[in-house]
Amino acid sequence: MTAAGRPGSPVPRAGVTGVSVTTPHVTTTGAASPAAIGLGRPAMRLHHAEHVMGTVFSFDIPVAAGPVLPEVVSWLHWVDATFSTYRAGSDVSRFGRGELTLAQCAPELAEVIGACAVIRDLSDGYFTDWPAGRFDPSGFVKGWAIERAAIMLNAAGFTGHSVNGAGDVQCTGEPEPGQPWRIGIAHPLRPATLAAVVAGRDVAVATSGTAERGAHIINPRTGRPATELASVTVVGRRITMADACATAAFAMGPAAREWVEHLDGYEALGIAPDGSAWLTSGFSAYAPPD
Amino acid sequence: MRRVVLALGGTIAGLVMLLSFRTHMGSTAVAGVTGSGGTATSGGTSAGTGSPAGSAAGAAAAAAAPVSAGSGTGTAVTGSVINTPYGPTQVQVTLSAAKIVKVTVLQHTNDGVNSQMIDGRALPLLNNETLTAQSAKINAVSGASYTSAGYIKSLQSALDRARG
Repeated sequence: MTAAGRPGSPVPRAGVTGVSVTTPHVTTTGAASPAAIGLGRPAMRLHHAEHVMGTVFSFDIPVAAGPVLPEVVSWLHWVDATFSTYRAGSDVSRFGRGELTLAQCAPELAEVIGACAVIRDLSDGYFTDWPAGRFDPSGFVKGWAIERAAIMLNAAGFTGHSVNGAGDVQCTGEPEPGQPWRIGIAHPLRPATLAAVVAGRDVAVATSGTAERGAHIINPRTGRPATELASVTVVGRRITMADACATAAFAMGPAAREWVEHLDGYEALGIAPDGSAWLTSGFSAYAPPD
Repeated sequence: MRRVVLALGGTIAGLVMLLSFRTHMGSTAVAGVTGSGGTATSGGTSAGTGSPAGSAAGAAAAAAAPVSAGSGTGTAVTGSVINTPYGPTQVQVTLSAAKIVKVTVLQHTNDGVNSQMIDGRALPLLNNETLTAQSAKINAVSGASYTSAGYIKSLQSALDRARG
């Protein structure tokens, strides 16, 4: 897997020209938890929600990383402009229509296609960048963009951040000294509640399900929407992998349990439409400390 | 020492509920309710039916005043009836010492598969983890992908608003 992009190139491409980029309106809050208070001063956090790629990316970063945020957000808008299947002029749309060769597209597209092929093979075809017979790498691109946003923050010298793209979260470092990140997993059947909480330092959490957008994931084997699970959550170190695997697992249905069981470094929680749930054997490694 | 702010709101477009706990120290924990934009079981759709974001924005602070009733184990706060993709739903939250100790779905329709799904079997993980998450300290929420319009109803959105 080499889907994470190029850590050494956090600068937005020239293609960003002409894309409307909004300077983030940032807010800061003192995360005055008991741990932070114990250190004598609260750890200042910066929270920002950016509408991009048809959804919202929520950032939780150190205040000191604020100057890097516009660059990260700008890059996400470039990804949107380049990879969106909703924009007729995007590289992905033009490539899908045969108007551009791969060599004429942004080089990142070749990277994405290559990574999709890896996960397609890993998932025995349940993950595909050709759902419903049309080129659409969207199932991969969001997770990849989340991880690259995190890598850009790392490359600028910051740890202790989380990037949440539409419910898929990449956490890095710690939110405050000595504390792991704690990520709630929304219950797919019970509005108001969480199904579980996981904790970790460098941890990624991705969930696929029908709760927000209906039955929108196609099982490539049947060509029909997957409905055997209400949601599946995949947890591991990297959101690119976790997100793509969650999509594949959701398409698989209950068989995903055995599949993820054999995936090195990743664990899963599946919830069926009747409310029954399962965990892979290593999931407890992500149990919160209290 | 602790102040509990509870707001329940329903809109035509969907549901936003925001439970915000602020201690005197300023640390914040939040739980929200999401009304979802799609149906859970119908097949074939790929487009979301998210509500206009703006219409839901004010809902958290609006709508019915909660009804509170004390009891031996805590204070029960009952929200107004709200429309969810699973049918009309009413949620009761039981608070004790400014912590949620129980979340109960009081009312829903009995027809249709969807409404049965939130009624029947509890997820084994659910109750304890609900307490853990809502009584304190989650940094982010993972869930099924939301659209830009659907974000306003998401748990992550509630978290972002509480910290913003």
